[in-house]
Amino acid sequence: MFGLIGHSTSFEDAKRKASMLGFDHIADGDLDVWCTAPPQLVENVEVKSATGISIEGSYIDSCFVPEMLSRFKTARRKVLNAMELAQKKGINITALGGFTSIIFENFNLLQHKQIRNTSLEWERFTTGNTHTAWVICKQLEVNAPRIGIDLNKATVAVIGATGDIGSAVCRWLINKTGISELLMVARQQEPLALLQKELDGGTITTLDEALPQADIVVWVASMPKTIDIDADNLKKPCLMIDGGYPKNLDEKFQGENVHVLKGGIVEFFNDIGWNMMELAEMQNPQREMFACFAEAMILEFEKCHTNFSWGRNNISLEKMEFIGAASLKHGFSAIGLDKQPKILTV
Amino acid sequence: MHNELKITDMQTLESNKKTTEESINTNPLNLPDFTTDSYKDAYSRINAIVIEGEQEAHDNYISIATLIPDELEELTKLARMEMKHKKGFTACGRNLGVVADMEFAKKFFSELHGNFQIALEKGNLTTCLLIQAILIEAFAISAYNVYIRVADPFAKKITEGVVKDEYLHLNYGQEWLKENLSTCKEELMEANKVNLPLIKKMLDQVADDASVLAMDREELMEEFMIAYQDTLMEIGLDNREIARMAMAAIV
Repeated sequence: MFGLIGHSTSFEDAKRKASMLGFDHIADGDLDVWCTAPPQLVENVEVKSATGISIEGSYIDSCFVPEMLSRFKTARRKVLNAMELAQKKGINITALGGFTSIIFENFNLLQHKQIRNTSLEWERFTTGNTHTAWVICKQLEVNAPRIGIDLNKATVAVIGATGDIGSAVCRWLINKTGISELLMVARQQEPLALLQKELDGGTITTLDEALPQADIVVWVASMPKTIDIDADNLKKPCLMIDGGYPKNLDEKFQGENVHVLKGGIVEFFNDIGWNMMELAEMQNPQREMFACFAEAMILEFEKCHTNFSWGRNNISLEKMEFIGAASLKHGFSAIGLDKQPKILTV
Repeated sequence: MHNELKITDMQTLESNKKTTEESINTNPLNLPDFTTDSYKDAYSRINAIVIEGEQEAHDNYISIATLIPDELEELTKLARMEMKHKKGFTACGRNLGVVADMEFAKKFFSELHGNFQIALEKGNLTTCLLIQAILIEAFAISAYNVYIRVADPFAKKITEGVVKDEYLHLNYGQEWLKENLSTCKEELMEANKVNLPLIKKMLDQVADDASVLAMDREELMEEFMIAYQDTLMEIGLDNREIARMAMAAIV
């Protein structure tokens, strides 16, 4: 069995969905009620791979909402309780979606192994970041030429380069593509310097300096909401891949020849017959999902029951190649600009 | 034309720097000072509630046995276990030099106690089991789970032993209700509507004292809802039915 731990994008959204699902006791509750709400196993589903293998899985809503980020004890409990539920249900491999893995990592939850009478087994969980990083790289390689960007001449800026996904993307771009230049932007300078040393390449720079130079911008940082970007300063054409969480590049902005692509989203070859991705507001909810969720499915298809993506900076090229090949084999493909016709013009 | 790429207003970790810092700075072993007067004062009530709770459990299981004589042996065993727990918790108070305020505790349980006695007189086994095997047990186990994280070393050890037992008899009530669900569902829902709000009230009543013991009200309530939901799910109720039942806790 595979599992997916997800959550709503806002408190209002969560209440609306709870009402739809018949969870009236929390749908009517205020944020305090949600803070005390147990995780919910919302849906069970069977998925058949392109190879014909069938697997079963469950979607668990942790009842976390981003408004709880200011209450770290609450956020911590939501994540750990959802993980405990997944393990209690006997799920082999569960992906930590949305803020779940970010909270796990940033709040150092490794030290909280014992949850009530359950000792959490980390090998049952994956952040899904390896697949997300691979998907973002593929989205870049496939879609840049489509809008007239020659990869061999392209300058690529990675915003959030030192994160787990960001560093993996940088590693892939340097080693596996022929891009002309890699610009690396991150808040913390020390890990950035270490990454540059490891890669033996890439230029450390700031966001303001990187944006006007970049043909392609990969956003994998969880960005503060106050940043405004002047679209006039961007190169044209420009491919922007929104690969962070939350996906907060507003698609409504106007700019000629600026193409925004939702990063880290995959499409399955067949309808799945679930409701959970409608909750995640995918464009084609029967087929589309976050790549991190798909990683749990792929690992279950492959009977690879291990915490494949775990910790920070452990994503190797070999792991990306493995998950990428398995992803294609079982019927996943990265969504591209053709699926998202958002060629934005003035 | 000047175009701007806006970042939408969703919460991010960066917009909550304090949270991240707090999470890093908080030592999981940050225990309260067990020797202060305020701790002991709060403990005199919390400890009494726990002792009285175990006594209630003992008495209730003996009473339930009068309704299902076939289970007399099993229920007597459970009742004895509850008395063992009571002794353990009494020792915890003694260890800290605290005299438990039993008068307060009796009053604390009086409404729930009264409802149990009425159901017993009427022979309403389902209601009796809901009160004892679901609500009181879930209340106890959730409080113990939270307490273990902040208890003094002596009490921690005792409470860990108790929790192991509590998980056992939570199953007992579940088994009976599960087997008889088709005939007892309606009574279960009705009894829940009356008694779940009492649990909420009891939690609210004890919240201030609990916080002196570093037990967070929100965490207590969440632990209770987890134990409660787990039990109802085990019994065989579906998500919507559980949601309907849990509704009584927020009215």
